[in-house]
Amino acid sequence: MSRVTPQIRELAERLIAFEAKDNEAARRMHPAVFHVCERLRPHLATLMGQGGFRAVLARALAVASAEIPWLAALQVKDDGSLEGWEKPEAPVKPKDLAESGAVLVAHLLGLLVAFIGDNLTLHLVRDVWPKLSLENLNSTKGDHP
Amino acid sequence: MKKPKPAARTKPLQKVASQPGKVIIRRMPTGVSGLDEILGGGIPEFSFNIIAGTPGCGKTTLAHQILFANATVKKPALYFTVLGEPAMKMLRYQQQYSFFDASKLNSAIRFINLAEVVMDQDLDAVFKEIARQVAKVGPSFVVVDSFRTVVRKAMTTGSELEMQTFVQRLAQFLTGWEATSFLVGEYVIDEVRDNPVFTVADGLIWLSQVAERNSVVRKLQVMKLRGQASVPGLHTIRISNHGLQAFSRTLGLGVKKALPGRRRRLSVGIPELDKMLGGGVLEGDSLLIAGPSGTGKSALATQFIAEGLRNGEPGIIAVFEERPNGYTERAAAFGLDLKTPQEKGNLEILYLRPLDLSVDETMQELLEAITRVGAKRLAIDSLVGFEMALAPDFRADFRESLYRMIGALTGAGITILSTVEVEDTFTAMPFSHYAISFLTDDIIRLRYVEIDGQLRKVLVVVKMRGGNHSKDIREYVITDKGVVVIHPRQTDFARLTTGLPEHVGREAEPAPEPKATK
Repeated sequence: MSRVTPQIRELAERLIAFEAKDNEAARRMHPAVFHVCERLRPHLATLMGQGGFRAVLARALAVASAEIPWLAALQVKDDGSLEGWEKPEAPVKPKDLAESGAVLVAHLLGLLVAFIGDNLTLHLVRDVWPKLSLENLNSTKGDHP
Repeated sequence: MKKPKPAARTKPLQKVASQPGKVIIRRMPTGVSGLDEILGGGIPEFSFNIIAGTPGCGKTTLAHQILFANATVKKPALYFTVLGEPAMKMLRYQQQYSFFDASKLNSAIRFINLAEVVMDQDLDAVFKEIARQVAKVGPSFVVVDSFRTVVRKAMTTGSELEMQTFVQRLAQFLTGWEATSFLVGEYVIDEVRDNPVFTVADGLIWLSQVAERNSVVRKLQVMKLRGQASVPGLHTIRISNHGLQAFSRTLGLGVKKALPGRRRRLSVGIPELDKMLGGGVLEGDSLLIAGPSGTGKSALATQFIAEGLRNGEPGIIAVFEERPNGYTERAAAFGLDLKTPQEKGNLEILYLRPLDLSVDETMQELLEAITRVGAKRLAIDSLVGFEMALAPDFRADFRESLYRMIGALTGAGITILSTVEVEDTFTAMPFSHYAISFLTDDIIRLRYVEIDGQLRKVLVVVKMRGGNHSKDIREYVITDKGVVVIHPRQTDFARLTTGLPEHVGREAEPAPEPKATK
């Protein structure tokens, strides 16, 4: 059962869009989803250790891969970073890359919501992206966040 | 520069002379109801403390409660998690408690996972990482949870001396940085002796849970607390949605004593019984109503409270067997309105029936209710139900605890009526199977007697500490007015206390209630 609600999905899309805009130069090397995960990594590793973060990201990747098969080419390294962007079996269009990234981030956030709840997840996101607007996230239907 | 006046110059010297440089240790509240009293005022500032005990007895919850009660953005806290419960799991579970305040996370309270440092490196690296974080944040509070895992790792790879050095360095460093710190760890009681961690600590709070039959009782002991007088012994704790709550074993001994003076006699709501009591029960007395089932003990308790309410004396009824609604409805059947005073806040009916209560918890509930309504009268219905509501572990100390509780409450001027069920044996007349008459100032015994083919009821005032009382054995009935002592004063029977009296009068007396006919 997917934990991703419309709000979580919207939040994931905002994070991807924010990183894409905020990090344009770096995005040429890696897609925005990589930067979202990298920004989250130290914060979550502080809370759950690198091993804990690695496990949660690997789980999110596994679930997301069921929806977006090419994501299965990605791997979570020992330090919790994502690798494998360079060699997908078929080329991925930039639009699809953003879409896939949002799916992965949404599953990662969905797991966080399941573990620590909406409030703390949003609290964490606010800490990592203080400039990100979280307004109107609750306007869409659904229970979370 | 203006020369200071002589008086101004000498004042500090006088101050020094009268206060010989004694440091004033500030005490921080724990945020745990009842615990500050047990600790002797709270946690000493800059102290190095250990919260120890077996798994599941509330160590982490206690540490969190202390932090959430004290940590602010200006006085932040660092919470290092090691190999026990990762911070993520802690946050998952601890947010269920009402004291948890999500807005304090990452601002007032920061969680840092030390697991990898402990697993991959040595004690020196652990110390350096803690020191680095402390120097970076400048916390007023530091928790290492679980410290036991740090120790275990150290003992497998290093020497005991290395361990002792590490603890010593850590204690010195944290105190030097003006942090009040807590090491949380799973220990068994045998480990306390000769353990360097416990030797270095300023405070040692020991939590435990004792299982007896189907009940589990949690207890807390302040085994060590430098510089202040904590309350010795084992204190009950309970973990609810609000976190830990502690009940000092000396709870109630600090209850404000009533002013000495001539005590009034209070009506129990039954005029004839008041006469038998020499004008009523003395204010601040403990009155025991003993009798078998169905003899009207609860009715008498209700009348006692209702009479107090009529006279402007708020009351508390602690029930253990019957639900408050049932109690109120039964009182209404006697023409006694308990509903209105409850609505007005002059009466509370407390229903206390979890099966693992301690007397201290009950007392806490009663004291709070007494304060809330300003109660002058208390009915405990019944002591048997009270004992049944206690965890088996506490039943052994029931009499001692009851003695303490009744002594504290009556000392504060509360008049207590307790009921106790006793069996009628028809060969003797026991007052109760508890041998608790020493707890009470006054005893009224109710019992059944067989008279003329009817099971009738009699009562007698057995004991009144505060004065003379009637020695008569009087017959009574329970009517729609409650307990009514009937006329005439019965003297035509002998051996009433056996339950099988002999009619010694010349004429047969009419039955107080109609006999069954075909």
